[in-house]
Amino acid sequence: MENFLYFFSFQDASIAFIVLGITILGIGSAYVGTFSFLDNKALLGDAISHAVLPGICLGFMLAGEKNPYYIVGGAIISGSLATFLSSWLKENTKLSEDSIIAVILSTFFGLGIVLLTVIQKSGNPEMAGLNQFIFGNAIGILEEDLWVYGGLAFIIILSLSLLMKEFRLLVFNAEFGKAIGFPMDRVRLVFNILMILSVVIGIQAIGVVLMAALLITPGAAARFWTDRLSSLLILAGVFAVLSGIIGTYISFVLPQMPTGPWVVVSLSTLALISFVFAPKKGILYRFFSRRKYLTKMHRDHVLKSLYKALEEKKSGLSQSELLALYPHHKRETNRSISYLRKRSQLIIKEGFITLTSKGKSEAMRIVRLHRLWESYLNEYMNIAPDHVHDSAEKMEHLLTPELEALLDNRLKYPKLDPHQENIPRDHDEL
Amino acid sequence: MIQQVQNPILEIHDLTVSYDQSPVLWNIDLSLPEGKLVGILGPNGAGKSTLIKAIMGLVDPSGGYVRIFDKELDLVRNRISYVPQRESVDWNFPASVLDVVQMGTYGRLGLFKRPGKKEKQLALDCLEKVGMTAFAKRQISELSGGQQQRVFIARALAQESDLYLMDEPFAGVDMATETAIFQLLQEMTQEGKTILVVHHDIHSAMKYFEWIIMLNLHLVASGPKSEVVNEELLRKTYGGKLNLLTKVSDLIRQQEFNPLKN
Repeated sequence: MENFLYFFSFQDASIAFIVLGITILGIGSAYVGTFSFLDNKALLGDAISHAVLPGICLGFMLAGEKNPYYIVGGAIISGSLATFLSSWLKENTKLSEDSIIAVILSTFFGLGIVLLTVIQKSGNPEMAGLNQFIFGNAIGILEEDLWVYGGLAFIIILSLSLLMKEFRLLVFNAEFGKAIGFPMDRVRLVFNILMILSVVIGIQAIGVVLMAALLITPGAAARFWTDRLSSLLILAGVFAVLSGIIGTYISFVLPQMPTGPWVVVSLSTLALISFVFAPKKGILYRFFSRRKYLTKMHRDHVLKSLYKALEEKKSGLSQSELLALYPHHKRETNRSISYLRKRSQLIIKEGFITLTSKGKSEAMRIVRLHRLWESYLNEYMNIAPDHVHDSAEKMEHLLTPELEALLDNRLKYPKLDPHQENIPRDHDEL
Repeated sequence: MIQQVQNPILEIHDLTVSYDQSPVLWNIDLSLPEGKLVGILGPNGAGKSTLIKAIMGLVDPSGGYVRIFDKELDLVRNRISYVPQRESVDWNFPASVLDVVQMGTYGRLGLFKRPGKKEKQLALDCLEKVGMTAFAKRQISELSGGQQQRVFIARALAQESDLYLMDEPFAGVDMATETAIFQLLQEMTQEGKTILVVHHDIHSAMKYFEWIIMLNLHLVASGPKSEVVNEELLRKTYGGKLNLLTKVSDLIRQQEFNPLKN
């Protein structure tokens, strides 16, 4: 608790500074990452984030210490080389994009690990912190480093905001961009540079390996909540910043704990929450709306059975007769009956169920839709009368009053369906 | 029957286009007059879309050239509108109908500048012309195929051009909309605009187009409807694949290098 207060009250200027750094870093990478996620290029970020490692090691070897300019420079160069190589291979070979990315990723990362081992064997006293570049350590960042990474993050955010319209065009319809004379190849190049930079800004705080997650996961998680680009970008930024701060806090409380993995864990939690709970696209919402639909379907069937009893000149059905019609759905049938009773669509008197006039009109509507659809299939699609029932069984719950009117109009208000059964109208007497 | 015209608005000279080095269009040579509604007809795989893309400079020709308004393409791009095939984009992209139509104003805006009030008003006007005003704020993922098509046409209108190239703008569009859009296109040609439409349905093509281009890997015909629509040319266009040309294409594709490259 003490730690928590100390950290989040920002009384320690260096902590406040680091949190500020993490915030713009998170916004920058989520911003770029969301576009590359929308462009279905999520794996490119992964490849770049692995490919910067050899550059970092070479930068370190050249400088002989953890100089941020050498390290950032090295990372940018090897990241660019990887990006260039992957697009060159794509144009000049018949390899698929995912195999190219797999090859680039493993080659560069393998090379990076070799160099890292060489440095570790060299006995350079400065090398101790180099491992941090793999999993990240936000707390260990020096103020000088922060200026470099923060400055780059700021450049990323600024360029994306300036070129918003062009990137939107690039992702949605690059060919149209080319047609109106925009230099789409150059826009793509700028975008790739921003991708590389957004990996580079995270190498110290998050680590090279996990930076890909900070690029892609915020956008992917935010996509569950919104269909608007502006809210998508804002939400992705919020997710990234939130998890960045959580990761930093944990590294602060437990100094041995790397930041990157915790950032990814909190990001994945946010993504999981989005996946489960988001309205409309979340699985929970979809599960419940499907269940709601199935319950309504069963209620419709109960109404239909009671209506068919009327057609057979019975005044209704006994409760046990009705239950016997759906032997595997006793509980649902009972629930439907009590629901319909509450809505005064049916009455139960001494175990005998009859439709009220309200219930009858609703039941007629369902039967009417069923038989209208059967007639339509038979007349317009030339489907044999003994093949139309199954489709109508599904459509009767779906068709809207608007489509009902259209069907009636096309079929010229028919009286009989293909099975010579009456198509019921509200004014019919039974 | 290929009719060339004086002072053409569009001149295609000996154009050959190849994909993966095998030619899909052979030596297309035609010229078009101004202010006509032009239909491009041909069977599947005849190279209709490729022709549009080649005019727009979206695919590189392996031979020949295109001149528009008697100038190089890059000098007159802001006078040409392009409607790509509906399937060429991902409609799940998070954008509203208005966002997409405003893309039509990007060309005039140039790089960096953002669309403002004027562009928004223009986009709304264009949406009205295609009868989609009520959908301006809708997300594009919620549109039906025909509505998506109309959004693309509205975007082309927002480009305010003199030459329109439309790739299958009537695919998935219902009859009533097709008629309405054809009427809109006819009004535009009366104002002197030239419109090229890749089209599938011969029946409506006969009804609306004034000038017809028939393609089947090579140019079969280009001229006024009354002169080019006859049984012989239709048979040449739709009468099955051209066996010999396809075989030559296969032969070229099997080479380890591109023999047609200059």
